[in-house]
Amino acid sequence: MKRILVSAVVLSMLFAATAFAYEVVDVKNGGSIKGKIKASAKVDDLVLTIDKDVEFCGKSQPARMYILSPALEVKNVLVFIEEVQKGKAAPKTDITIDNNKCVFEPLVGVAYKGANFVIKNSDNILHNTNLGLLLKDKRSTVYNLALPTKDQVITKPIRRGGLHAIKCDAHAWMRAYLFVADHPYAAVTDASGSFEIKDLLPGKYKVTVWHEGFAEVTKEVEVTAGKASDLSVTLSKK
Amino acid sequence: MQVIKISKAVFAFTILLWGFAAITASAVFAEENRTLELGKIVYEKHCVICHGEKGDGKGAFFAVVQEASLASGIYPRDFTIGVFRFRSTSTGCLPANDDLRRIISSGILRSHMPSHPDLPEAEATAVIEYVKTFFAEWGQMEPCKPIIAKKPAWLGMPDSVKKGEKLWKDMKCWECHGDMGKGDGPKSNQLKDDWGKQIVPYDFTSGAAKRGDAPEDIYLAYTTGLDGSGMPSYEDSMSDEDRWHLVSYTLKLMGLVK
Repeated sequence: MKRILVSAVVLSMLFAATAFAYEVVDVKNGGSIKGKIKASAKVDDLVLTIDKDVEFCGKSQPARMYILSPALEVKNVLVFIEEVQKGKAAPKTDITIDNNKCVFEPLVGVAYKGANFVIKNSDNILHNTNLGLLLKDKRSTVYNLALPTKDQVITKPIRRGGLHAIKCDAHAWMRAYLFVADHPYAAVTDASGSFEIKDLLPGKYKVTVWHEGFAEVTKEVEVTAGKASDLSVTLSKK
Repeated sequence: MQVIKISKAVFAFTILLWGFAAITASAVFAEENRTLELGKIVYEKHCVICHGEKGDGKGAFFAVVQEASLASGIYPRDFTIGVFRFRSTSTGCLPANDDLRRIISSGILRSHMPSHPDLPEAEATAVIEYVKTFFAEWGQMEPCKPIIAKKPAWLGMPDSVKKGEKLWKDMKCWECHGDMGKGDGPKSNQLKDDWGKQIVPYDFTSGAAKRGDAPEDIYLAYTTGLDGSGMPSYEDSMSDEDRWHLVSYTLKLMGLVK
């Protein structure tokens, strides 16, 4: 009887799981979302004051937070679709997070569930890489790893999806941001503020435009087969 | 005709099977519901005053705790984000049932979490299941295997203490916890927990580790890290043996071995 009960539960769980899981399909003649992200006004980048490990890290560092072109195009903006039911397979590529000269490289990136975080310390000092998933205004620890020695590499599976904030408790100024999903539909803007999300099945998508220093914007975008839908957004400083 | 009969039989059988599955499943759910109902009663009796109705740590006592000094300034755990400091599981993992069971029965030193040694087993089990419902991902995350702390025979021996002393330096424990383990290292003054509140590294000479000060507790703190606090996990950065040597030296800092 117990065994039957267990299998009934397993069965119902399987049903629940398949109802929410991302479905991988071949996408032929899909549509895309592309555009340019700009700032509403000129913003100067911040300078970070450093007060720990100054011999190694220096006394100050550019924050690289507001990287704007003369036309106010913003670099390093994350553009992502939070929930996608169906689409092409996500790449299996791992993401390297390097603690390099007291900053995280990359500052902003996209990673995929099922692949790995490859966390590296290129510095001759202790760093710790504390990854947290941002849940509304709260933070849920994903991993907090000590990297006390130079050239240390720790590989960890990517298990949870969503917007991750990375910090180093030893160096309060260090931070990085990653969007993680089980699908490939996310991008980071380049120096001209441009991005492109390709191979989407036709339909309506809720797209989020996120940057650490600007107010978040979410828009609904309709995608049609074989065409590019425009999503150009002007962001205001937080 | 024959075919129709067979397909009718198959159909009837399928319906029967589904009916049976539904009944057994509902029996399981009924049992689960009974556990959660009991868990809710226990929670509302013992836990809600601090941890709050929504499990977000904002119960009636929250404001009082907020005013407490830094040394005892711990506030009730927010169950809605699935972050727990005292686990036997790796960093980023949910705790094992036994980890929660232990905190319920022993409480947490230097915090406002009291012990509940007399709580009946069924009530403890039920309240653990109820607490899990506050974090939506709990059922979906793959459970992690508890790490078993197996104390080596040489723990606390002079040779191991000496090795641990070098590791304390090389692994940069002193940067936060200080050369003598007093929690006064050069990085101790700027640390914040995941809720943005200032936090001080543990002073090993104080003799009141929240997690417990048995060698196994110290070993697990080094291995799993204390998620949410800033203390990282050394599971991947040190060998198991080295982590035990570090425990040996820690016991010396605590004045428990020479």
